[in-house]
Formats: sequence, structure tokens, C-alpha cells
Amino acid sequence: MMKVLRIIFLKDLKVSLRRWSDLLTSFILFVLVCLIFPLTLGNDPSLLLKIIGPVMLVSALLATLLAMQNIFRPDVLNGSLEQLTLNSYPLTLIICIKIFSFWVITSLPLILISGFIASSYYVTGNSIFIVVLTLLLSTPSLVHISALAAALTVAIRYPGALMALIIIPLSLPIMIFGAKAIEFSISGIDASAPLYFLLGMMFFTCSLGPMVTAAAIKISID
Amino acid sequence: MNLKSIYKLGSPPLFYKLCIVLEPWFLISSILLIAVGMYGGLFVAPPDYQMGDAFRIIYFHVPSAYVSMMAYVYMAVSAIIGLIWRSNVAFSLAKSCAPIGASFTFLALITGMLWGKPMWGTAWVWDARLTSELILLFLYLAYIMLHLSIPDRSKADRATALLAIVGVVNIPIIHYSVVWWNTLHQASTISKFAKPSIATEMLWPLVIMILGYTLLFAAFLSKRTAAELAVREKRTRWLQTLIVGDKNNA
Repeated sequence: MMKVLRIIFLKDLKVSLRRWSDLLTSFILFVLVCLIFPLTLGNDPSLLLKIIGPVMLVSALLATLLAMQNIFRPDVLNGSLEQLTLNSYPLTLIICIKIFSFWVITSLPLILISGFIASSYYVTGNSIFIVVLTLLLSTPSLVHISALAAALTVAIRYPGALMALIIIPLSLPIMIFGAKAIEFSISGIDASAPLYFLLGMMFFTCSLGPMVTAAAIKISID
Repeated sequence: MNLKSIYKLGSPPLFYKLCIVLEPWFLISSILLIAVGMYGGLFVAPPDYQMGDAFRIIYFHVPSAYVSMMAYVYMAVSAIIGLIWRSNVAFSLAKSCAPIGASFTFLALITGMLWGKPMWGTAWVWDARLTSELILLFLYLAYIMLHLSIPDRSKADRATALLAIVGVVNIPIIHYSVVWWNTLHQASTISKFAKPSIATEMLWPLVIMILGYTLLFAAFLSKRTAAELAVREKRTRWLQTLIVGDKNNA
């Protein structure tokens, strides 16, 4: 069991790394969206400190949206996902491990770079850590919601806009509380309440998300 | 009512006939109720001591907001029934709910903005409940778009059913995270558990309007569902005999 899951995890990592240009695109999108705001708003530290929370989360959402279009589509086209649904291992676990490997590839780089972007927005001290922590807690939920949208739209040729229409309303709570956490920590208030909410949402989406996504995959494939 | 008669409702011919028979009754009773409620709301009810006559838009705003949320829950329940029993009737009901619910959501947004203009000074204030109503509209649109873009009808039915269920689980979370900001919206005036904070002569037209809007929703829903069933069952014998008449007898 564990061996199969490890094989799927490593295979997804390898395939994604081979298609590194896709990965790089979503990563660059994140950085570019974050860079547009200082360039267009002007170099005003107080203004930048005010907008960094929403900017971070919106760019993370866009990058996730772009990257996650490809989580199931290639596997459906070459038939390997159908084989995975036919074997005796629970599809929910397989989906779970696939989503995890996609999170490692698409979100981890964003989380790593977010500290540097935060410091370029004049965020200092402990708040940088809070920015990184917020992304660490919110990206799993975003990835799970996007995976569900990708599974629902897997039969559609150009799913991008429709995926956005599905993902953005559903990820609104994560956006609100993520932005609140960063805003609180920058204005010197204890940010633990919104962070706890993000953690709760993370457990909620990580436990129920793969089941619903597996059901959506089964519907789309048969 | 025993279980057997509920199962019978799952048969398309029976449900189609039921829709056709019930639709005029729903429509007539809703028009009557809305007429009575409008008279009560616009002429009988006293003006509000704070808002004057402007408060009277409540008689259109609250019923449409109520129906917009009820329609989503109704859609999700039909979707669950459809997923479990693979029932074509339940899927037709769920699919027909979406555009009607979206229209009522739109109506609630427009009336809310018209009400907000004199009361708050602007039409849109990012108030919590107006915002979650807007999100509800997007959830409806996502449902409709997803249904339109999957060519295989049975797949589209089941995929959108999942989306409706996920949406209905998420609506309270979305609503309360939006409420987390300070909200301008007045507190709810009718509640099941508390004594309503509204005068009786203002309350009864509102209740009648809500009933009237619900019946109007039922009328639209039965019309749409009948049409949807007719499209789905267009190759079956019962529909052909029902519409063209039995050719063997002629």
C-alpha cells in the first residue's frame, strides 16, 4: 500500500519536473503579480504594507489556478488515471497523494519566495514569518479546492475560466482570513485567531476534499 | 404517505403530468397572494418611523432573498437524491432550479441596492449579506456554466450535483467569514425562535409576500422541469402519445 502511494508520488513529481516550463510559468506569474503592485502604486511603504496581504493571497490563488489545470488532464488523456480507478487501492488515497505532490511542486516554491517578496514590501521582523506561515496554511486549501474544480472540468478542453468561476467563490473564506492574518500581524495585533481559522479550513479541505475529488473523477471518467 | 408513493414520483411520465397539472394552480395562487401582500405592504402597513416609505421595498427584497437561498438548498437536495438514486426527475429538478434561483438572487441584489441607495447613501457598501448574496449568484452561475460545458448530459448532471453539494456545505462558511467584517445590514427582522422585531401590520404582508414568492418559484420550477423532462424523454413513447395523441386510435 505505502509502496504504491510512494510510487505514484514520485512519478507525479518526476513528470511535473520534466514539464518544468509549466511549473516555472505559474511561479513566474506569482512573482510578477506581486511585482506589478509596487510598480503601479508607487514606492510608498505604508500603502504597500496595507495591500501585501490581499496581493499575496490573490497571486497565490492565480498561480494555483494556472498550475492545477494540468493535475488530472494529462493522466486522463493517456489513460493512466483510468487504470488507477480500476485497481484495488482506494481512489481517495491516490487522489490525496497526487494533490500532495502537486502542492509540493506548485506551492512550496511560492511559500519559499514569499518571505523575500514580503521584505521587498517593507515587511519587517516577525511579520515576515507570519506571511510565510499564512501561505503555508492557506495553499493546501487552495490546492484542494482547485483539484476539485479540475476534476469537475476534466472533460472540458479549455477549463481555465470555468475553473476560476468555481474556485474563487469557494476559496473566499481562505482569502479573507489569510489577508486578515497578514494585516493583523503588520498592524501589531495578535494574528493567531485568523491563523487558527486557516488551520481549521486546511484540515476541513484536506479531509473531505480528496473524497469529493475522487467522486468527481469517477463521474468524469466512466 | 408511504414510501411507495414517493418512489412513484421518480417516474418521468407521472412527474411530467404532475408538473403540468400543478403549474397553473401555483401560478394563480401566487399571483393572488402577491396582490394581497402588495396591497398590505404598500397601502395598509404604516410607514417606518426611521426610513419612512422607503422601507416598503422590504416586501420585494426579503422574499426574493429568501427564495434565492431556498432554491439553492432545494437544488442541492435534488442533486443528492439524483446522485443516490440516479433519478432523471431529480436531476431535471436540480437543473431547472439553477436559472430560477439565479434570477431571484439577481432580483434580491437589485432591490437591495435600490434600498441601500437612500438608506446608506450608496448602492453598494460591501455589506456582509449583500456580498454573500453576490457570491450565491456566482455559485449559481458556476453551476449553470458547468452544466452547459459538459457535453454528456448524464456526466454533466452528476458533476454539477457534486458542485451543488459542495456549494451548500460552503455557503454558511462563506457567509460567516464575510460577516466577520463589521456589517451595516440591519439585523434580521423575522426569526423563528425570537419574537419578531416588527409591527404586526408590517409583518403579515411580508409573510404573505414570502409565501407568494415561494409559490411563484414553484410555478416556474414546474414549468421548467416539465420542459426539461420533455427534452430528456423526447424519444419515449409516453411523451409522443401525450403530445401527438395516440396514432393507432386516430
